[in-house]
Amino acid sequence: MVDPMTLSNTRSARGTSRWLGLLTCVAVIVVLPLIFRDAYWRGIITICAINILLAIGLDFIFGFAGQLSLGHSAFAGIGAYTSTVLVTALGANFWVALVCGVVCAGLAGVLLSAFAVRLKGHYLAIASLGFAVITYQILVNWISVTQGPLGIYGIPPPPSISIPGLQTINFSNHQAFFYLVSAFALLTYVLLRNLTRSPIGDALTAVREDEISAASLGIKGTKWKMMAFGIGCAIAGLAGCFYASFIGTLVPDAFFITESFMILAMVVIGGRGNLWGAVLGAVLLTVVPELLRGIGDFRLVAYGLALTLVALFLPGGLSGVLIQSARRFNGSVTRAKSETHA
Amino acid sequence: MGTLRRGFSIASMFLVGVAVLELSLAPANAQAPAPSIKIGALLATSGPGAYQGAQQKEGAELAIEQLNKAGVNGRKFQLFHEDSACGPLPATQAAKRLIESAKPDVIIGESCSDGTLAVMPLVQQAEIPLINASASSLKITEPGNAWTFRIFPHAVMQSDSFARNAYDKLGARTAVLLYENTNAGIDTIDTFEKAFIAKGGKVLVKIGFGRDVNDFTSIATRIAGLGLVDIIPTASLEGQGVKLAQALAQAGITKAGGGKAVQLSNIWLPAGFDEKAGKPAVGFIRIVQFNHLENRAPVQEFLKLYKAKYGADKTPSHLQAQGYDQVMLIADAIRRGGTDAKSIRDHLLATKNFEGATGHVVFDGKRQNSSPDTIHYVETTADLGWKTLDWQ
Amino acid sequence: MLDLLPILAQQIINGLVLGSIYVLATLGLTLIFGVLGQINFAHADFMTLGAFAAYFVARASGGNYLIAIVAALLVGALLGLVVNQAVFSLLRGQDETRPLVATIGVSVLLENAALAFLGPVPYTFDSPYSSQVIRAAGMYFTMQSVLVMFIAVLAVGSLYAFLKLTFVGKALRALSQDQEAAGLMGINKKALIALTFVVGSAFAGLAGAMLGPILVLTPFAGATVIVKCFAIVIIGGFGNVEGTIVAGLMIGLIESFTTQMLSPGMSDIVVFGILLLTLAVRPTGLIAERREENV
Repeated sequence: MVDPMTLSNTRSARGTSRWLGLLTCVAVIVVLPLIFRDAYWRGIITICAINILLAIGLDFIFGFAGQLSLGHSAFAGIGAYTSTVLVTALGANFWVALVCGVVCAGLAGVLLSAFAVRLKGHYLAIASLGFAVITYQILVNWISVTQGPLGIYGIPPPPSISIPGLQTINFSNHQAFFYLVSAFALLTYVLLRNLTRSPIGDALTAVREDEISAASLGIKGTKWKMMAFGIGCAIAGLAGCFYASFIGTLVPDAFFITESFMILAMVVIGGRGNLWGAVLGAVLLTVVPELLRGIGDFRLVAYGLALTLVALFLPGGLSGVLIQSARRFNGSVTRAKSETHA
Repeated sequence: MGTLRRGFSIASMFLVGVAVLELSLAPANAQAPAPSIKIGALLATSGPGAYQGAQQKEGAELAIEQLNKAGVNGRKFQLFHEDSACGPLPATQAAKRLIESAKPDVIIGESCSDGTLAVMPLVQQAEIPLINASASSLKITEPGNAWTFRIFPHAVMQSDSFARNAYDKLGARTAVLLYENTNAGIDTIDTFEKAFIAKGGKVLVKIGFGRDVNDFTSIATRIAGLGLVDIIPTASLEGQGVKLAQALAQAGITKAGGGKAVQLSNIWLPAGFDEKAGKPAVGFIRIVQFNHLENRAPVQEFLKLYKAKYGADKTPSHLQAQGYDQVMLIADAIRRGGTDAKSIRDHLLATKNFEGATGHVVFDGKRQNSSPDTIHYVETTADLGWKTLDWQ
Repeated sequence: MLDLLPILAQQIINGLVLGSIYVLATLGLTLIFGVLGQINFAHADFMTLGAFAAYFVARASGGNYLIAIVAALLVGALLGLVVNQAVFSLLRGQDETRPLVATIGVSVLLENAALAFLGPVPYTFDSPYSSQVIRAAGMYFTMQSVLVMFIAVLAVGSLYAFLKLTFVGKALRALSQDQEAAGLMGINKKALIALTFVVGSAFAGLAGAMLGPILVLTPFAGATVIVKCFAIVIIGGFGNVEGTIVAGLMIGLIESFTTQMLSPGMSDIVVFGILLLTLAVRPTGLIAERREENV
């Protein structure tokens, strides 16, 4: 017997906890640059925010829509180069260039999806890899536009914004830049989360779990896969734009296929299909290698080992482990409660 | 009452103890040595250019060891190394780490052009002088960055000299240019092309390749179909350089393979390349920044120190010499009165009469070493050793 | 015009040599993919480690290339066994992307472990044949490339014979066509799967030993070849030995001719462009032998 009062209490409880979660995130973002005051660590947390964008984008494609994309970094590259070339060669406004970069990356994602529309599993994986290789080679060889391996140097940060009545926000200040990227990351996260909790999310899950049955329900796999790729890759493009602006130097090697594997590792190790797992994976795989810098070459060995072990034994990733322990904990609490009541 | 008195006596004993400690330390503090000069090193010790950084570091450490025996103007030297991996991304991160944690007074590096270009804005912002000894791209000094010095001859200096000598001394009229797709590779080849054509030579084709290319047979075949080729300037790191030399010999293009062409290379291939490539390297002519066969005093002194530390059968290459000279140059600036980043920079700019193992150093208005005697020519002999060529 | 003929002929030879290299490298992948429908991302690293095993054994034995090749075969086989037991048999029946991701992890692990122990500086692996050049009719080959072609033919031939003529081979083919039915027929699936992996990975080791003298030998040497190998598996039609041969040789020729007419960098674009087209138009590959439910 489900008491209606309990139901609405639960719903409002969930709503409250969601707001609390959001507030906590904002608080953490605000506080981080105050804890880390030096340029190097502020740089690390900024890269963390960029990696979060990359990871949640891939989680949307892989975790929610079930499409294994092994070339995610290529889309970051498309976003980065589009916006950078527009700004440095054509003098475009940073924000306009950003939008262009995001749109181009998203369109490229849709294009890949169109090619691979009937493919699943390994075929899709290899197709996405092939796409990434082609993108990389284009970036390298189209020297008249991208400068290829010569690289583009001296990429400026976003232009300062003056808020009337307050001070000017100068983005060459590391703290301000971090807030900018984190704001976008948080916003993207919230948007994706709402998307996945909507009927769109259900459609994606249906496509992921059993495309044939979903088709019988009128859910056209193709359309949803294209949407997933479009959105996920557009987010990667956004990350690429910020990356270029942050490092100040752009070379095609930054988007080589090994970087795609890194993003995949974040999603797998963090746990796919719930978004916050991807965030967890991104944070861990950005910060832990820095802390382990002391052990030198063995850092990457550890990361390979972690990826293998998690893929083997923890299909839900670390977030899966956390969820399971939380359930077990809640279960024992409920049991204890019912025991005392009885 | 008793507790209070006990507390009082403990506190006063403590205070007395601290005072005594303070007083006994004070004279020691007054005699503390001046802080050492911190030399940051952005050298590639991983990735395909790893042999560059590793050897440059050896040279730098050797110099520091020597200098610290007596110090310079009462200062000793300390080396802080970060691996910059010869690429813009790792170099940027390494530079940030270095500047943030070690706060060096001067930085040497980076091993490659791409890495150097990436860190130049960072050292400019941090106002720390950077001395480069191995990157050839023009972009490093041409734009005139106030904090970047280079003691290495840049691409134009090398190419002008090379093209002139190839035309005059070798009678070369046709060339095929081969290069890796990086800043340094492209710059080297572009400047050579300009200089050679200006002299009256003809470039038959320019072929660029990525660092992941393994097989050069098809490239060699293509060259073989071009007819008579006199010289083949190449710009690549050692791994690919070996394969390239072998492929050219196999195709019968270079002298070593029974053909007529001579392979030329700028300062890319360390000593040891000849043994690795084997017979195909015979007849290879290259510019080296350090020639161990030279009789000059700094060369012999450096050789002596190196062999004493690493063994009489070991010969340093230009890479160790670069690291060594960079530190010695810094010491020279200190001797003339440099004490911190800014004053070191000013004294570096005023360098006169500095002679290193690689040659003389005289900085022009753009902080580029304009002394031509850093360019030395050698040819690989049949026994895979070197012969000094008397070219200027 | 007449001048061009010998050059074109030489590029054809170069292309066939390159193609044989790719065929040898891909053969193991084809076998594994064909029987199990699984991709082992670490295949490239088995090749690299096979190459290094051959290098060290050759040096230790004073230049005995034959023993080095055998060592590489064994190393490959061993690695295959370990990965099969630790990854694929563990995850059998699960979502098929998990083993793929796990092998990516293994690949990263192996590459960086090799990097930590062997360093990034290229090793010079000279086989007794790599410097001998044969010249005939205005064209040339190195002995090493002749050897590679010979071994490739031998490998393909023996694989064919094994699959078509032996009982185990026939069982493997049954397995590749229908795993369930094969199981019902009393075929010991587990053992056969393990065997497939071992043999396929031994091929990888063999390829490594042959390629060691040809590639720039670093811990990442295999990685420079592997992405093309995946492309070949798909273009040729997965699990299809004839397809692998045709696609492999075709890609070798594309590379040598793109280098001749355009530039080395364009060959990747051309090859992967063909891959994408194949996937879009005829995903079962150029020479499809069986239907594939993934498409």
